Amino acid sequence: MTALQPVPPGTVASLLGVTGGELIRDGGGAVTVQVPAARLEAAVHHLAAAGARLADLFAADGEQVMLRLVWGLHAERRYLITQTPLGSAEYPPLSDIAPAAFVEECEIYEQFGVRPVGGKPLNRVALPPHAGPDFPRLGHQPLQAPQEAHAPHAVGGQAFEFPFGPVRQAGVESLYYGLVTSGEEIVDLYLFTWHKHRGVEWRMQGRSPGEAIFLAERVEGLSAVGVTWSLAAAVEAALGVEPPPAAQLTRAIALELERLYNHAAALAALCQATGLAVGQAAAEIALELLLRVNAAAFGHRYLFGVIDAGGVRRAPDPAALRGGLPSAYGELRRAADALLATNSFMDRLEATGILTAEQARRLGLVGPVARACGVPIDSRLDQPPAPYAAHPPALAVREAGDVLARLRVMLDEAADSVRLIRHLLDAGAGTGTAPLPATRGSGLGWAESPRGEALAWVGLDDAGRITRARLRPASVRNWRGFDDAARSQNVFTDIPIIEASFWLTVAGTAR
Amino acid sequence: MPLWFARGIRRGIVTTHYPARPERSAAGLPTPPAFRAASIDAALADRLTAVCPSQALHRDGAALIFDVGRCTACGRCQEAAPWAVTPSGEFELAATSRAHLVKQIRLAAGEDR
Repeated sequence: MTALQPVPPGTVASLLGVTGGELIRDGGGAVTVQVPAARLEAAVHHLAAAGARLADLFAADGEQVMLRLVWGLHAERRYLITQTPLGSAEYPPLSDIAPAAFVEECEIYEQFGVRPVGGKPLNRVALPPHAGPDFPRLGHQPLQAPQEAHAPHAVGGQAFEFPFGPVRQAGVESLYYGLVTSGEEIVDLYLFTWHKHRGVEWRMQGRSPGEAIFLAERVEGLSAVGVTWSLAAAVEAALGVEPPPAAQLTRAIALELERLYNHAAALAALCQATGLAVGQAAAEIALELLLRVNAAAFGHRYLFGVIDAGGVRRAPDPAALRGGLPSAYGELRRAADALLATNSFMDRLEATGILTAEQARRLGLVGPVARACGVPIDSRLDQPPAPYAAHPPALAVREAGDVLARLRVMLDEAADSVRLIRHLLDAGAGTGTAPLPATRGSGLGWAESPRGEALAWVGLDDAGRITRARLRPASVRNWRGFDDAARSQNVFTDIPIIEASFWLTVAGTAR
Repeated sequence: MPLWFARGIRRGIVTTHYPARPERSAAGLPTPPAFRAASIDAALADRLTAVCPSQALHRDGAALIFDVGRCTACGRCQEAAPWAVTPSGEFELAATSRAHLVKQIRLAAGEDR
C-alpha cells in the first residue's frame, strides 16, 4: 500500500482504518479507495463528520453494480473516490447521512435498479415517464417505476398547485414548475427536469475520448468548456497523460471567457426578470461583444471545439483578446454599475431567494450560488488544475445568500476573469495535444465552470474506449437548491429573478 | 427610470440592418465545409465520413453525400483534409425543403470501391 503524505486526521488515512478499505490509486489530485459494502455506511458517517464534501455519487454496471462516491477533501486539496461493489440491489440510505446524495440515489435507481434500503420514495429525475424496458439506460430497469414528487392539486384547503411549463416563454429551456401557492406566496415548488434527457452518458459508451468530447460540448452548451475540460481531464487521469503546458493555459483562457459571457448573460436575464428593458439591452450589448471576442479569439462564439482529450485543438488569437476584451468588459461594467445604482432594480434583488450557508452545505451546492451564501468553495483554488496553481483566481464570496449576493459574486468573478486572461496570455498560451495511449484505465476530472464545479469520471477498456462516462455539471447540483430559495418568503414574480440569479441549465441536469 | 430612458435614447440603435447590409461579424463564424470534388477519392470520402461526429457525411458509391442539415461546422473534416475541404463561408442555410440541404459530391478522383 502506498504511503499517503500528508495525512490530516479524519480523512483518507483514518478512513482506511475505519473501513478496512484498500487504497486503489493515488495521484493526479484524486485518491481512490475500495470500501466494502458492509462498511459503506460507516465510511460515509466518518467522512461527513470529518467535514468532507460529498461532490457526487454514481454507479457503473458490471458483474456487480459499482457504487462510487466522490468527496472534496479541502484540507488535502484533492478528491477522494470511494468505490463499493454492491452484492445486492440495496445499499445503505446514504442521503440520511449526507442529504446531498438524494438526487443521485434517485438517478441510480432509474438507471440501475438499485436503491437505498428503507423504502423511501425516490423521484423521477432524468428518464421520462414512458421509459419502458427497451428505453436506453446505463444498467437495469428498476422493479417499480420512480415516483413523481408532487403535491396534490389541493393542499391544506387553501393552497393549490399551479402547473407551469414545460413550455415556457420563448427561448427558455423546457422545465416544469409545480408551484404550490395560497394565492401569491410560494408554499412549495418542485421541478420536472426530464423533458430534455438525451442519454448523453449512455451515448458515450463504446466511443473514443475524442468522440465523447463532441457529445460533452452539447451536454450544457453554455458550459461547453467547463464540461469538456472535466471530461478531458478524466481521460488524461485515466491514461496518465499530461497536456502540454501551453494547452493548459489555453484551457484556462477559454474557461474564463466562458465565465465572462455567462455572467453577462445572467445580468441580462436579471434585467429581463425585473422588467428593466433598457438595462437588459445594455447587458445584452455587452454579452454580444463578449461572444464576438470569443469568435475572434477561438473561432466559435460559444467556444466549442477548443478542448480536446490530451490538450486543445485551437490556440487563442492574442491580438483579438488584447484588443477586444477590455472594451467588451468595459461595456459590461458600465451596465452593471448603472444597475447597481438603480433602486428599483436593487429592491427586487435584495432579500430575494435567500439561501443559508447551512442549506448550501447540506444540499452540496457549488459555484456562485454557494459562494454567495458564504461557502468558500472554488475548485480552481481547492483542487487547482495546472494553470490555476500558478495563476490563482481571487475568491469571490458574499454572505447574504440572496439574489443580490449572487450577482455581486458574478460581477467580482467577471472582473477577476479579465485579470486572469491577461496573465494567462502573458504566460504563453498555445496549442498542442499529448497523444493518448489506447489502454484501460479510470480517472476523475474537474473544472470550475461558470455555474460551479463540473465533475467527470470515465472508465476505459483495453482499446481506450469508454465503458462508463459520468458527467456531473454544476447544474445537477444547484437545481436542488432552487426550490429552497424560491420558498423563502417569496412571491410568484420573484421566481424568474431567482432563476436568473442561479443561471443554470435544464440540459445540464437532464443530460 | 427617466435616467434609463435617457440612457437608452443616448445609446441609440446598435443592431445591424441585416440583410440590407451584411453583418460583418459573421465573417469569423465557423461555416459548413465546401468540398473540392477533384481532390477526393473513395478512400478519402470514407475517412471524412469517419471523422464526422454528427453523421453529416456518407459515401454512396461514387458520390459523397453531404447533409448540411446535420453539419455542426465543427471543422473536423477540414482539419483531416485541408487540401480537399475548405470553409464554405456560407451561413445562410435556410431551405424550403429538407431535401435541398442534402448535397451530392461526385467523386472525380480515384476509383469507386
